Amino acid sequence: MMQKNPREIILDTLLDIDRHNIYSNTALHTALSSNQFMSKQDRSLISRMTEGVTEQRIRLDYIINQFSKTKVHKCKPLIRCVLRMGVYEIYYMDSIPQEATCNECVKLVSKRGLNGLKGFVNGVLRTICRRKDDVHFPERSDGLEKYYSVKYSISEAVADVLLHTYDEETVVSILESGYEKRGTSIRVNTNRISVEAYKKQLENIGIRVKNGAYNDTSLIIENYDYVRKIPGFFDGFFAVQDESSCLAVKAAGIKEGQTVLDVCAAPGGKTMYAAELTGESGIVLSRDISDEKTELIEENAERMGYHNIKIMVYDALKPDEDLTEKMDVVLCDLPCSGLGIMGRKNDIKYNVTKEKIAELAAMQRHILENASGYVKPGGVLVYSTCTITRQENEDNVKWFTDNHHFVLDSLVPYMPEVLHNKAEKGYMTLLQGVDSSDGFFIARFVRR
Amino acid sequence: MATRNIRLDGDSVLRKICKPVKEMSYRTSVLIDDMFETMYAANGVGLAAPQVGILKRIVVIDVGDGNPLALINPEITFQEGEQTGDEGCLSLPGLVGQVTRPMHVVCKALNREMEEITVEAEGLLARAICHETDHLDGILYKDKAEDGLYEVE
Repeated sequence: MMQKNPREIILDTLLDIDRHNIYSNTALHTALSSNQFMSKQDRSLISRMTEGVTEQRIRLDYIINQFSKTKVHKCKPLIRCVLRMGVYEIYYMDSIPQEATCNECVKLVSKRGLNGLKGFVNGVLRTICRRKDDVHFPERSDGLEKYYSVKYSISEAVADVLLHTYDEETVVSILESGYEKRGTSIRVNTNRISVEAYKKQLENIGIRVKNGAYNDTSLIIENYDYVRKIPGFFDGFFAVQDESSCLAVKAAGIKEGQTVLDVCAAPGGKTMYAAELTGESGIVLSRDISDEKTELIEENAERMGYHNIKIMVYDALKPDEDLTEKMDVVLCDLPCSGLGIMGRKNDIKYNVTKEKIAELAAMQRHILENASGYVKPGGVLVYSTCTITRQENEDNVKWFTDNHHFVLDSLVPYMPEVLHNKAEKGYMTLLQGVDSSDGFFIARFVRR
Repeated sequence: MATRNIRLDGDSVLRKICKPVKEMSYRTSVLIDDMFETMYAANGVGLAAPQVGILKRIVVIDVGDGNPLALINPEITFQEGEQTGDEGCLSLPGLVGQVTRPMHVVCKALNREMEEITVEAEGLLARAICHETDHLDGILYKDKAEDGLYEVE
C-alpha cells in the first residue's frame, strides 16, 4: 500500500484554494477528513502548513518575487504553491532543516511531472536559504499601504481602508491580533446547565476555560480537540458564539413573551439566544436565504432544544408585507465585508475590495429598508455587522436615522459596565486587538 | 538483499489466489527481506508477495510506528467500525481512490519464526492489513474504491 506524503496533501489543498478560490477552512477540513488514517503529527503538519501558507501568502509571494525571475503570479499554479510551501518552511518552521525542504519541494515537482522545472524550484529555494536575511521588505517610506500589506500579509485595499478609518497605532493592534491564537467563545445554554457547573465540568477534562470579557453566560475555551467531541455538545449545553454576537442580542433588550425576527439568521446563534430570552411564551422568526442555511439553524435549534423558533427560507432583500408592524424586535445582523473577523478567516483579508464594500453597504441599506417596516411603533431594531468599516457601519446608521422614523437609543442599559463609555450614543464599534472580542458593530434604534 | 520488480496492474499475477506458506525456508526468508527492501525503496507502507510476482501468502507492513510487521498466512478474525479515506497502491502508481475500511481489526498470522501471533490494529495499520491481505486473494483496492481512482497529478 502507498501512503500519501503529507506534503502532497498540503500541495493539493493549496492548489484547490488557489485554483477554485474556495475557503481555506473548507479545503483544509476536506483534506483532513479524507485522510483520517494519517498519524497525528502528519495531520498537524497539514493544518499548520495549509493555514500558515494561506495566512502569510502576500509576504511569501513578496519574498519569492525578490529572488525569482518569473514572478509568482506568472508561475504555473503548481510551481507557485510549491514555492510558497518551501518559503514558509524556510522562514517559519525552524524544526525542518532547509536542506530537507529544498529536496522535498523538488521531489514534489518531479512527482507531478514537471521535471523541466525542478532546476528552477531548486535554484529559487536554495538562493532563498542562502540569502534568507537579505530580503528588502518595503519601508514605511514606500507607502504605508504597501508596508503594512507585506508586513501583515493583507491586501493593499484592506490596508488602505483601515488606515483611512483608524489611526496607525490602532491599525497595528488590529493587524497584530490576527496572529494571536484566541480561544473559542461559547455561550452556555442556561436552560440546561449553569455557567459555573459547566465550567467545572470542562475544567475536569482538561479544557482551559476563562469567563467571557463582556457577557456573563459566555466562556472562552482552549485546548480541546473538536467542538463536537466536547461533552455536552449533543446535549445542547452550549453554542459556539462570539461574545460580540451575544452582545448584539443583548442590545435588543428582549423581554419575555416578545415576538422577534432575525432576518439573516444562519447559523442561528442570535436566534437561539433570542429564543432563550423570550421564553416559551414568545417566538423568534428565524430566516435566511437558502435551504443549506436554514438547515444549519434547524440543526442547532434542535440540539439546543429551543421550541419557540420558526425557521423559514426567505430572502431579506424581498419585502414581506405580512410582517408589517408586527415585530417587537428585529435583529439585522447583515452580510458584511467581515474585517472584524479577518484573523479567523484568512480569505477575507485578500478578497475584500473597495467596490465590494460599497456593494455590501448598498445591500445592507436595502435590507434595513425592508426590516424597518416590520417593527411595531415603539419597537426595536438592532443593526449589527462583524466588520469595522465606516461605510458599512456609521455611514449606514446616519443614512438610516435620516431617512426612517427611528431614533438611536442608548446601549448603556444592556451593556456591561466596561463598555458604558462607548455605548451611550446608541451605537458602538469594538475592535479586535483593542477590545476583548472580534471586531464588530452594534446600533440600537427605536421606532418612533 | 535486493529490491525486486513491482508488478503493475494488468499483470495477471496480481489477480491470482496465493498459497499458504507451510514452512520457513531460506528462499522464503530472503523473499521477506527483499519485500521489506522493495517496499522501503518505493516509499510504501505495505507490500504483498504477489506484488513481486510470488504467489505466497506473505505481506510486509511498516506504517512508521517503529514496528515493522512480516505476516505469514494472515487472516482477519475480527473487524469493527469504519474509516473512509484515500488509499494508494505500489502496483497502481500515481493513482489514489477512496476506500472504506474497518477502523479496527484483529489479525491472526505467523511470524518469521512460524509462531502464531495476533496483531490488533487501528486506523492506518488496520487499513494496511486489509489492503495487503486483499492482495493475497487477488483483490485490488480499485475494486473497492467508491468513486473510482483519480490521478495524484
